[in-house]
Amino acid sequence: MNILANLALRGLATGAVYALVGMGIVVILQTTNVMNFAQGDTGMFVTYLAFFMITTAKVPYSLVLVLTVVAGALIGLIVERFMMRSVRSRSHLSLIMLTLGLSLVFQGLAAFLFNTEPRLFPPLVAGDSIKLGPVVLSRQDIVVLLATIIVFGVLYLFLYRTKQGAAARSISQDEYAARVLGIPTPSIYMLVWAIGSALAGLAALLIVPRFSLEPSFMGLIQVKAFSAIVLGGMDSVFGAAVGGLIIGVVENLVAYQFPAIKDSFMLIVVVIVLLVMPQGLFGKRQQRRF
Amino acid sequence: MVPSRRRRLTANAALIVLVLMVPLVFRTKPSVIGYLNIAMLYALATQGLNLLMGFGGLVSLGHAAFMAIGGYTAAVLVMSYHVNMFLAVVAGVAGAGLFGLVIGFPSLRLSGFYLAVATMALGSSVADVIKRLAITGGDYGLSNIPSLRLGPWTLASDASRYYFFVVVLTLVFLAVRNFLNSRSGRAVRAVRDSEMTAAAMGINVAAYKLITFIFAACIAGLSGALYAFTISYLHPTNFGLTFSIGLLSMSIIGGLGTIIGPILGALFWVMLPLIIGAKLTYLATVIFGLSIIGSVVFLPKGLSELVTRVQTRLKL
Repeated sequence: MNILANLALRGLATGAVYALVGMGIVVILQTTNVMNFAQGDTGMFVTYLAFFMITTAKVPYSLVLVLTVVAGALIGLIVERFMMRSVRSRSHLSLIMLTLGLSLVFQGLAAFLFNTEPRLFPPLVAGDSIKLGPVVLSRQDIVVLLATIIVFGVLYLFLYRTKQGAAARSISQDEYAARVLGIPTPSIYMLVWAIGSALAGLAALLIVPRFSLEPSFMGLIQVKAFSAIVLGGMDSVFGAAVGGLIIGVVENLVAYQFPAIKDSFMLIVVVIVLLVMPQGLFGKRQQRRF
Repeated sequence: MVPSRRRRLTANAALIVLVLMVPLVFRTKPSVIGYLNIAMLYALATQGLNLLMGFGGLVSLGHAAFMAIGGYTAAVLVMSYHVNMFLAVVAGVAGAGLFGLVIGFPSLRLSGFYLAVATMALGSSVADVIKRLAITGGDYGLSNIPSLRLGPWTLASDASRYYFFVVVLTLVFLAVRNFLNSRSGRAVRAVRDSEMTAAAMGINVAAYKLITFIFAACIAGLSGALYAFTISYLHPTNFGLTFSIGLLSMSIIGGLGTIIGPILGALFWVMLPLIIGAKLTYLATVIFGLSIIGSVVFLPKGLSELVTRVQTRLKL
């Protein structure tokens, strides 16, 4: 029993990683209808900047956290303004390709500028692991879990308690009607991209101490984050958060029993979820459109 | 004979001679031929993806998995079960096609982003499963795969393989072109342009989506099988998501929905890192990314659009 509880809680900590990345993807997806395959690599690139701020420039951690978020937001603004805006009406296929191209640019730039050797990123909070009853969690895991809750809360407040959030949700329902009602869609798009990319930076910075910093470290995490948003329903931030946590826990339990299928198990589950209930756990049921 | 037609014939003849001359020109630098061979194998796999995305309108972010299945099936059959190499390649193609059928089923219900995620998940899990199996060499990879043999002849040198691949590539590309110009090919394109219209005209949408997936998977499987006997080493991580995205990039940069696009894309992909040198290899990734963005925004037909422009300029 103890082992299972331990595994489940550690899985929760891993799931929080997927949830953080997934929420950023969903924020952009539900409003702008772009599935951002560059989300992970945006975060990876920003994390490299943070790494050099910490190790060479000796900037204090709290300031680095703020600067990382700002850098992520700036990247989001630039991407929206100079890339996505001109191709908004293109097909899903083109949009997927664009963000994939962007992710290659980030990966190549990171490898070219900083070389590919893995680097150890200093954890945000040093110190021993913490014992919660029978369960042992590292401090970084707890930070990630807390961050997931905070980010979810802030996103919820943004989407449901602010004018801009309401505008973002209305665009996701009907972009044309939103424009007719006088919602400044271009600036809302920019805002949403800034928030999404800032989240990418924050997520990558928080989770990098668990792995090592290298140009490809977000690859598998992003695949899992996509699985999380599929599981949760593609248009729900809550779904992405819960989906991420579920995937983390189930994956860890499966890995304990059957280590061989750790990574593929959830992926297969995702495909089945897509086939049986494409709206996911919390998404809106949609009519199939041709 | 009409002048323009004569010109086109001359140009084609010149192209064929040029292609056949390449091994002679680079006789002193066999590595170039080796890279060209790789480019041709990639072009083969990319043609499958091109068929799927450019003509079928279906996304696949797991195309490298088909190559992996084709390659591993053929290599394991030859190495562990001592099957005739030709039969092994056929089995590899069939195995990939069968898996194409499996992956094709999600495409009946999903489209756009959903299909992208589903194929990404399936593709990644194939690489993962191969890594865990014992018969495939697991995480150590499969090495010492025998060289390509064609009946009594062993194609050991790069130049001999070059000619063989040119023939295979030509045959497959002709097959794809003829398929696309046939009744079935028109049906596939109709499904891409509008599923509802296609269904209304009596086209069996589900069947044609599956056919496209199987055909595309078979071509990629053939590419994978030949790749195994050329490189004589297979490793699951080479066929992960990264390589799937690589194949996607090749098809986009070369030009989606064009027959020659995959060749141009694969040549660009393989040759660019060589041209800009080992020190700047990672810069090539940046250029690939920028070229993808550039082709989507400015050149929807990619590099093949440039070729078409040159052709119009020369009045071919």
